[in-house]
Amino acid sequence: MDYDVVIVGGGVNGTGTARDCAMRGLRVLLLEKADFGVGASGNSSGMIHGGIRYMLSDRRVTALACRDSGAIQRIAPHLLFRIPFIMPFTSRRDGATLRERAAFYATEVYVGTYDRYQPLKSGKPSTRLRADELYRLEPGLRPGLHGAVTLDEWGIDPYRLCALNAVAARGYGATLRTWTEVRQVLADGGRVRGVRWRDVLTGEEGEALAPVVFNAAGAWSPALARASGVDVPMRPGKGVHLTLDRRYSSYGVILTAVDGRQMFLMPHGSESIIGTTDDDYYGDPDDLEATNDEIEYLLEGAASLVPGVRRARITRAWCGLRTTVRAWGRYEDALSREHQLLDGAPDGAAGLLSIVGGKLASYRAQAQEATDRIERLLGRPVTPCRTHEVPLPGGDAVPDPAALARELPVAPPVAAGIVHRHGSRARDVLALVRDDPRLGLVVCRDAGLLAAEVVYCCRHEEVRRLQDLRRRCRLAVGGCGGLDCARLGAQLAGRTLSWSADRIRAELADLLDAGWRERRPVLDGVQLAQEELLRAAHGLVEVA
Amino acid sequence: MTPTPGLLEVDVLVIGAGMAGAMAALAARDAGATVAVASRAPGATALSSGAVGVAPDPTASPDEPLAWLRAPVEAARRLAARRPDHPYAAVGVAGLWRLGEALRFAARQLEPLLAPPLERPRLLATPAGNAVRAALCQRSMDAGDLLAVRGPLLVCGFAGHLAFDAALVAAGLARYTPRGGPEVGDAEVALPFDDPAARPHELARALEPPGAAERLGEALRIPAGALGAGAILLPPVLGLDPAARVPERIAAAAGMPVAETLSDVPSVPGLRLHAALEARLRVAGVARVTGEAAGAPAPGRAVEIGGTVVRAETWILASGRFVGGGIARRGALVEPALGLPVQAAEGREAGVHLARRPAASLTVRDRRAPQPLLSAGLRVDAALRPVDDRGRPVHPRLLAAGAVIGGHEQATDGSGLGVAILTGFLAGRAAARRGA
Amino acid sequence: MTFGAMAYLAYRAIVAHPLKRLLRQRGTGEARFRAAYETEGLAPTTEADRAIGLEAQACIACGLCETGCALAAADPAIRALGLHAAFRLYGRNPAELPLAAGALEACAGCTGCEALCPTGVPITRVVGALARRAHGARPGSPREPSPSPAARDP
Repeated sequence: MDYDVVIVGGGVNGTGTARDCAMRGLRVLLLEKADFGVGASGNSSGMIHGGIRYMLSDRRVTALACRDSGAIQRIAPHLLFRIPFIMPFTSRRDGATLRERAAFYATEVYVGTYDRYQPLKSGKPSTRLRADELYRLEPGLRPGLHGAVTLDEWGIDPYRLCALNAVAARGYGATLRTWTEVRQVLADGGRVRGVRWRDVLTGEEGEALAPVVFNAAGAWSPALARASGVDVPMRPGKGVHLTLDRRYSSYGVILTAVDGRQMFLMPHGSESIIGTTDDDYYGDPDDLEATNDEIEYLLEGAASLVPGVRRARITRAWCGLRTTVRAWGRYEDALSREHQLLDGAPDGAAGLLSIVGGKLASYRAQAQEATDRIERLLGRPVTPCRTHEVPLPGGDAVPDPAALARELPVAPPVAAGIVHRHGSRARDVLALVRDDPRLGLVVCRDAGLLAAEVVYCCRHEEVRRLQDLRRRCRLAVGGCGGLDCARLGAQLAGRTLSWSADRIRAELADLLDAGWRERRPVLDGVQLAQEELLRAAHGLVEVA
Repeated sequence: MTPTPGLLEVDVLVIGAGMAGAMAALAARDAGATVAVASRAPGATALSSGAVGVAPDPTASPDEPLAWLRAPVEAARRLAARRPDHPYAAVGVAGLWRLGEALRFAARQLEPLLAPPLERPRLLATPAGNAVRAALCQRSMDAGDLLAVRGPLLVCGFAGHLAFDAALVAAGLARYTPRGGPEVGDAEVALPFDDPAARPHELARALEPPGAAERLGEALRIPAGALGAGAILLPPVLGLDPAARVPERIAAAAGMPVAETLSDVPSVPGLRLHAALEARLRVAGVARVTGEAAGAPAPGRAVEIGGTVVRAETWILASGRFVGGGIARRGALVEPALGLPVQAAEGREAGVHLARRPAASLTVRDRRAPQPLLSAGLRVDAALRPVDDRGRPVHPRLLAAGAVIGGHEQATDGSGLGVAILTGFLAGRAAARRGA
Repeated sequence: MTFGAMAYLAYRAIVAHPLKRLLRQRGTGEARFRAAYETEGLAPTTEADRAIGLEAQACIACGLCETGCALAAADPAIRALGLHAAFRLYGRNPAELPLAAGALEACAGCTGCEALCPTGVPITRVVGALARRAHGARPGSPREPSPSPAARDP
């Protein structure tokens, strides 16, 4: 056998499990049909929250979730940023009824109870705000609110979380193959023995033999398991988010959608996000686009509490498919995000382990559980998990950007972006500038992206396509859509990865296509002028 | 009529000073009318590649020899025949007939900057290594015309400057060699000044002082000699001021023709084009006002623009599209200055009633396909008067020119500045006739 | 919801929470909230900040303004990123604004950039407002406008 385990899927479950398995000494092959995090993980709301909702059913789950959130902070402190949330108290009419006041108090108590778990994840305690205090702290809220209670959570760049888990796994000997799809799960007499894969970029095919195949393909996993005769029951929910050009507010605001569901408008990095929809989706997971209805639903919900948000510049609408454990629930929201590990043995595919559901914030615990199961399937003793102790790449220290900028030739805000994405490895990125001053060029002045970072990601972070850089270092993701950086990024990646001129042009077109799909349904106001300029600059017309 | 203090009385008021507005003003002035141009800021012309495309050739095949490329005017005719909503079709056969005249007029007006038009299109390189056809180009680009280069073409970048990848451009242009394009090589030379962070306009300025262009030309002799090159293609930064004669000086020192590629954004050639239009408007005696029209303006009525009251019998709206602000989408497509109806297209249907459709239904998934939303704009009759949803002119003395007219998109048909020149020229001439 | 969870929450509501409010909380909710977050650069977004943000968001990154920026031509440190990047990049994330204070305060307010903006961003005003905010956000500095010409701009 070539490997102990083949992991299918480069989302947070796949990459997290790959890291855990590799750290425990297993021989791991990770196959991802596109790039790390392209499915539900990267298209999640990007939060490491503590599971406040579980306090109703089981407080131990909340404690576990908070403890795990704290663990992620320890291993990747550079990736996380604090997001204070405000939950405004609304009433149906002008004055709040007694029942509504009771509900306000109940919310305050509930969030106050959550405070008991906040220290586990370095969270700050909640506060109750009077109406006048609320309007001072968050101007722009609609009139007639009765105060609020606040709540502390953490945001993260989910794409980098996946990529860093993968890169860490590689450091422990795992083999990573992105842009490689699994054509077939190989089986013999009721046992899986590996997979047959195909590289979608080169067309190369091969077999990888392993006694265990871990199916972490998210929305694509039922199809994979079905080919082996295994049923992976799952309820896919489509979640759409909108990104605003800049931080609209310093705090997140919990909103109520027109149908009574909870939504949010929150600052995330240097942007704001409105999310999210949650609708059953049984279409092709490869053919996912935000619809006009979904966008209007989100905007309507946000504007109901923050009317000015209608004037903000929306740069893109993006979506993913959450996989939730199938249950007959009235609302999609009420479905548990809890995960489930399904063994293929009863269906005649021993060694095929599938994961369904789970949440980004608990990925580490999910990976630990999966790895324990994989060790058992391999017939080995379960060895200790250390993923909560050992830092992810760059997570051992967070350098001070201002100090780095004094030391190395780079502007402080640019250094801050690199530190956020690379942690202590920001030094390695910036060392490239010291060796080659040309790489000090700021390729995107909109996001402060340095040529050196593009080159660093290409060299060290499993970049195989130009669009992978959207996820590694936010190339061409911002409002300008790659006006400055797309061609330059393509050239830099092409040089670093020895692409032909034709390949560079094809990759550039593919990168621009990816951005267009996300922007097209929200083109309005300035963003439409931006698109006109972008399209003209990337001259679509050439001599036939 | 007695002049009121602060009142500017002219025959023609042009709103917008990009290519379309400037051509309209110059054509009207040239025909004897008095003209004022109102503008707010530079727009899409200053951000253009610096050359004038006219039309793609919808009937060309991908393997045919480059020399078979049809003349710009003929390509425009073929485009008009296929696209009834295109401005080339809207102006009618008689209007399109004057495209050649309009291009020659533009070249004459922008004499020192633009090279004279040829019967055939010029084939010019982009920084991504594609060749595009141009009906007009700046003199600084002329020697890079793939059909005119004699001997191998050397694409040369500047050491330390990552923005221009000579190898990428050269490999791209080599695709055209089997179809009659030149042999292509690439090289890199050091600039006479060392500053890897320099922006394009700064490089352009740095090449202007005496000696700078000459030293670059000297340095080019070595790689050009090694290739036996017939011409040299450089990044589009050959001077901001055409009077500094940067390309000519480099060519003299290098001992062979030198050209720059077209530009993407930010565009030094676009800045040059903008400056040349401004200078020409000044010389031609066109009055300038800066600002936006306030109130509920209409031709014949006095209107205040940036502190000046202007009255003109005929107005030409040349306010551009989304970048220029001539058309905007705020939930629905609108024309902000005069509130004119805006036409959009969905599927095979087109009309002003579609202006409120969601963005997703006015675009298609294939980015490279024509996008109805991006080609939205005014609908005009053959006399270039904006019309309402029943096809009636909104106002008898209101004309439109350039990108504010819908039915075309620079990105997918390359006809942006060509449309600006033709419609600007026709509108200017028509306005002068009426004013007289 | 389980009975246990219900009972626990009821206990919290009737006993623990009122006690906590009575014994452990100091100051108003707003004061505690500010104390928790302002040191981390998470000060509230004011109406004025938001108005500036809405004006700055009209930038389409075309770069025309930088050809009219005297300072960008003069100071290589500012040029690397471009002072005009101020209203695009720096303005987005107030937590990182103090890092940009030096560049922002260097603006002399010549307005050379503004006349060149196709989408009408009031660049000088945006830069001035951000400079004031960056100045105020710096630990230990007074919250009043800096005396630089840019900062005097309304």
